[in-house]
Amino acid sequence: MNAQVLHKRSFIANVLIRFGFVLVIFALFVFFAVWNPLFLQAENLTNIVEASAILMILALAMTLIIATGGIDLSIGIALDFGAAAAVVAMKSYDMAWPGAVCAGIIAGSVVGIFNAILVVGLRISPFLATLSTFFIGSSVQRIFTNGGGPISHRRMPDEFRQIAQGDTFGIPNEVLVALLLILVYLIVLEWSVWGRQVHAMGMQRSAAVVAGIKTNRNLIIAFIFASATCAVTGLIAAANIRMFTPLSGFSYLLDAIAATFIGAALHPRGRPNVLGTVVAVLFLTMVANGLNLMGINFNTKDALSGIILISALALAVAQRKASEAMLLGSRSR
Amino acid sequence: MDKPALLLNNIVKAFPGVLALDGASLEIKSGEIHGLVGENGAGKSTIIKVLAGVYQADSGSIEVFGEPLKPITPATVHRAGIRFIHQELHLVPHFSVTESVFMGQEISSPAGLSKGQMRRRAEAVLKDKLGRSISGRKLVRDLTTAERKLIQIARALIDDEARVVVFDEPTAPLASGEVVALMSAIERLKNSGITIVYISHYLDEITDICERVTVFRQGQSVAVFDTVTKATGSELVTAMIGREIASLYPDSDRNPHGTGLSVKSLGDGKSFQNVSFEVGRGEIFGIAGLIGSGREELVDALYGVNKIRYGTIEKDSKPIKISSPAIAVANGIVLVPRDRRQDGLVLPMNILENISLSVLKQISSYGFLNRKRERQVAEQQTAKIDIRPSNPKTVTRFLSGGNQQKVVLARWLANDANIFILDEPTVGVDVGARVEIYQLIADLAANGASIIVSSSDPAELIGLCDRVATMTRGVLSGVRITEKLTVDRLVALTTGATQESANVT
Repeated sequence: MNAQVLHKRSFIANVLIRFGFVLVIFALFVFFAVWNPLFLQAENLTNIVEASAILMILALAMTLIIATGGIDLSIGIALDFGAAAAVVAMKSYDMAWPGAVCAGIIAGSVVGIFNAILVVGLRISPFLATLSTFFIGSSVQRIFTNGGGPISHRRMPDEFRQIAQGDTFGIPNEVLVALLLILVYLIVLEWSVWGRQVHAMGMQRSAAVVAGIKTNRNLIIAFIFASATCAVTGLIAAANIRMFTPLSGFSYLLDAIAATFIGAALHPRGRPNVLGTVVAVLFLTMVANGLNLMGINFNTKDALSGIILISALALAVAQRKASEAMLLGSRSR
Repeated sequence: MDKPALLLNNIVKAFPGVLALDGASLEIKSGEIHGLVGENGAGKSTIIKVLAGVYQADSGSIEVFGEPLKPITPATVHRAGIRFIHQELHLVPHFSVTESVFMGQEISSPAGLSKGQMRRRAEAVLKDKLGRSISGRKLVRDLTTAERKLIQIARALIDDEARVVVFDEPTAPLASGEVVALMSAIERLKNSGITIVYISHYLDEITDICERVTVFRQGQSVAVFDTVTKATGSELVTAMIGREIASLYPDSDRNPHGTGLSVKSLGDGKSFQNVSFEVGRGEIFGIAGLIGSGREELVDALYGVNKIRYGTIEKDSKPIKISSPAIAVANGIVLVPRDRRQDGLVLPMNILENISLSVLKQISSYGFLNRKRERQVAEQQTAKIDIRPSNPKTVTRFLSGGNQQKVVLARWLANDANIFILDEPTVGVDVGARVEIYQLIADLAANGASIIVSSSDPAELIGLCDRVATMTRGVLSGVRITEKLTVDRLVALTTGATQESANVT
């Protein structure tokens, strides 16, 4: 029977199909390493991982919101608010570092609460709602800082600075925070009942409602949880440079969205998912770093990143199609 | 005319793991209306897609009026004069009739589109070939569904090259009155010399209109009927499912008792007013009514999708307030919605995930999903209900209508609900699966569940339900025991053709 031929693919073909994108990453890795031996040095590899920590955390939050079927354009605002609140708490109110951390996370959550009011309360589409939040949040920062100047805090408590500067067991602290949050998001989005509900409502809201899922409640929780997560990156940024720089979160937005969609493209059924996002963030940071070390002209670098991304995604889509066919084949009796 | 219009020989088409066509053959004589029937998954839509050039057959050949068709691509098929009227309308609501008919094949001159010429052509084709005059200026959104179907057909005929027209479930979206209009249009086409292939789940349409019928089962053409009369209907069913079925509907020797759900003077201020009825435990209660009668809104309100303005709902004699589906489900009230592809299933999810959606709490510990338990629950349900393919990891988008509906039912069976609201439970479901779904509903009632069936199929309501009420213009009236009711009588009641409105119980 003809159908039989299709599932008896060779072992190599199976590996290629299942792990195509990972192989591309590996190939690029080898390529960068051969081109410039500096790439492989421990210091540079640590750089890649450290540099990806903030984007990683923001992309996790974005993955959650995109999984609900929406999008969050205000993740940068949550980062800024988190940083601002923590710095001001320490500088003007002499708070100890745990208080500053709490202040930052609460300030970030306010952004999520505001989004939830717009999306759930006023039924504005997530795109427009979070875009408005972004506009308002940006303006608030300018007004608060009288035009956008940074608020620096040179005598920042050392404990707070440890968030970004210290190591634990030889691992940079912000990397540890990112790892912890990856675990939290894996639990929340992929292993829990709540995560299953979020995926269901993201794929088909009306069917989720009819199935008895409290979609509004879940949306509210998701927006607040995501913005609280983003506030953590604000803490890392503030600890790193001992100051709050207004409007600094915006620059991560497109990368976070890209990472989520790359991650979804890697999923066998095209869903936004935590592991895919993690792989995508590492991929994006590695490409940026590798191209830097190759000494590629600043002006052409972005074009190259784009081309690498397109090639990798084309492969991922081909890979998904093939594995879909395999799924249909190998699993039906 | 000796050469057959279409001759499909020994077509084999395999998908990974599924042999969709296993040497199927089909001969369509020139100038006839040829019916194609079979359960979902029997291979009729696959053979049509092979004919359309959408799927490439693994082996087999196609001849059109004696000439081999090669290669078989959508373009060569079109050139051979074969047209397809798909089940979905694919029309743009704010396009005019003319624009819709000519979409993709506009007539233009160097001065731009020839709008007047196109409008006259479109109107002429509609009038002469399909027997309906519709102004070319009208917008699609102002047309009835039947008229839209005619627009879709006109589109296939506009270049005058059509020799064979294939209709795929053309009446699926139509109300019963509109079906007649479509049938006469198809007869008219046939009389103008065009060969018709007619695919439908509705066997009465097949026996009405077709001259010959081919029956598909398990990827093969298992029977060809050369003469078709009303009486052929039951033979068709037997050929389709490969065994005889005594009756479509299960026995109704239930004994309803007590009151499961009681609705008192319910209204939403718009679509229905002062609706009162009671459903006993172990009873199947039917609600008949035309589209727009308020029947759909009532069903939605009972499930918390629509707002209720006044009135009360009591379950087991306790008043409950249903303000959202989540609350309905928490109270053991569940809905099998009329639009299962939109509201019933999360289509990108697989059977397993769709079934477990209602019992996530039961299959988790400390908020963590227990995938082993999830699989067990799903397998229990799929074993009880014959869902094909039985593999619970099959994505529900790829299931047939009947199997999709079974998944929706399986979800609520897993959830120990005791009040089932079934809205159009067998729309787009083939005969074999329908019998199984009816049996399932009867079993539920026998186990003491209260069941409300809202349906636009009067035969279904009479065959399945113990009592049936009719909804007209937002008013529910005339609760009747179905044993004393005929289909004609029920149709008359829903259309308001009779003046009688007394409550005969």
